[in-house]
Amino acid sequence: MIKGFNHKLEQQPAPAFFVRGPSSFARLAFFSALSIALIATDSRLQYLAALRQDLVALLQPLQTVANAPAQLYRNTDEYFTAHHNLLNQNRQFKQQLLKQDAALQRLSTLMLENEHLRNLLQANKALEESSIVGEIVHIGRDPFTKKVIVNRGDNDHVVAGAAVVDAVGVIGQVTRTYSGSSEVTLITDTSLAIPIQVERNGLRAIAFGHGRDQTLDLPFLPANVDIRRGDVLVTSGIDGVYPAGLKVASVTEVKISADSPFARIVGVPTGGVENHSQVLLVSLAHSEMWEGDEVITTPKPSTKRTRGKPAPATNNPSKIHAPQ
Amino acid sequence: MHPSKLQSLCLSLLIAYIAILLPWSGIGLTLRPDFLLLVIIFWMIRAPNLCNIGTAWGVGLLMDLASGGVFGQYALAYTIAAFFAATYQRRLVLFNHYQQLLYVFLLLLTSQISLLVLKMFTGSQPAGWQYFLPSISGVLLWRIALMLGLKTGARSSGA
Repeated sequence: MIKGFNHKLEQQPAPAFFVRGPSSFARLAFFSALSIALIATDSRLQYLAALRQDLVALLQPLQTVANAPAQLYRNTDEYFTAHHNLLNQNRQFKQQLLKQDAALQRLSTLMLENEHLRNLLQANKALEESSIVGEIVHIGRDPFTKKVIVNRGDNDHVVAGAAVVDAVGVIGQVTRTYSGSSEVTLITDTSLAIPIQVERNGLRAIAFGHGRDQTLDLPFLPANVDIRRGDVLVTSGIDGVYPAGLKVASVTEVKISADSPFARIVGVPTGGVENHSQVLLVSLAHSEMWEGDEVITTPKPSTKRTRGKPAPATNNPSKIHAPQ
Repeated sequence: MHPSKLQSLCLSLLIAYIAILLPWSGIGLTLRPDFLLLVIIFWMIRAPNLCNIGTAWGVGLLMDLASGGVFGQYALAYTIAAFFAATYQRRLVLFNHYQQLLYVFLLLLTSQISLLVLKMFTGSQPAGWQYFLPSISGVLLWRIALMLGLKTGARSSGA
């Protein structure tokens, strides 16, 4: 035993045992101060945003390597999927497509009709939106926040603020973009609020993420508010971020207690984050939005101008149809 | 000094980082041990001249980058854990396997608690008890590594 112990001592070179340089307490103090400075800078100021983008771009190859096994598994899994499964799925998709085609045909006539009616009312044009399909690469690694990473970024003209939806509802919002990917904060994150409208009666409210479990809160609504269990909440579209009318959540709990002036309302998101990997990133055209704001804030001058002399209206192409 | 050791340090850190970057989700994400901190602790015991508090801080920054959170949070948490690792490093030759496991567990817990405090300062919700599971899975991983014959400087329990 003693021999073995001696042998171990010999194995370990002497300099390795005694660390040279500043004492560990000095190092602790120095690096702690540095970390705290970084935390303060990053959480209050914007200096590190560009640096982070560059570093994430450098990290991209490593990320690709890390994603390779899962990708390989998915590919082989797809390859070995039974034939009749695929056929069934194909049939389902065809039926779904047929249904949606019919709905789409109605939609195009409705859109025309809507535009016509808006022209008659001299209302603003509905916000145009552009969308791009992305895939969820991985779920965020921070247990404190609800985030996912999507494989579309600056290169695909994704902008921070774009709404992210799946086939059944809103999932979240793009909060940070990198060159080849972007970070999506889910609606269940505490830092995200989403303006909603009750589909049944048009009541407007704001839904906040609950954070811990997969639910949304509707705080600060009076106890006599007209919201029932099972109500569907859709985006109201008044924020200029989310297109109007997308499903957000369904109400699962309405609790009114005597000791609180507010009702406790809880909803469960309709969009499945865990279930789907394909998402749609929808961004509203911002130039249009600004024009819309201009018209809302200064309605009188613009109408006067168009009534007095019709020529200036032509320098604003989107409003040519407005006076007709 | 020890070019081979330096190489294996860098390689092990790289592998641990890729392990962190794997697309974890669901229960795997809850249980995922902190590979990077385990590697740091291992090298702080094994080669304190190569891996010190500064290394832990740098690796913590990489972790901040991977998690997408505010810069400096993991860095500070790792720095604190590494400080305790450095302080008790010389006593480790006297520890047996089980004492060492407890020591590693306490280090992992220290970093997690520091991170929790920092996150709560920056406005996160307090986490549930599941938050501490990675410390336990980390120690289990350390135990497996010991069984596979990894030399961590501890005496075998019989000695």
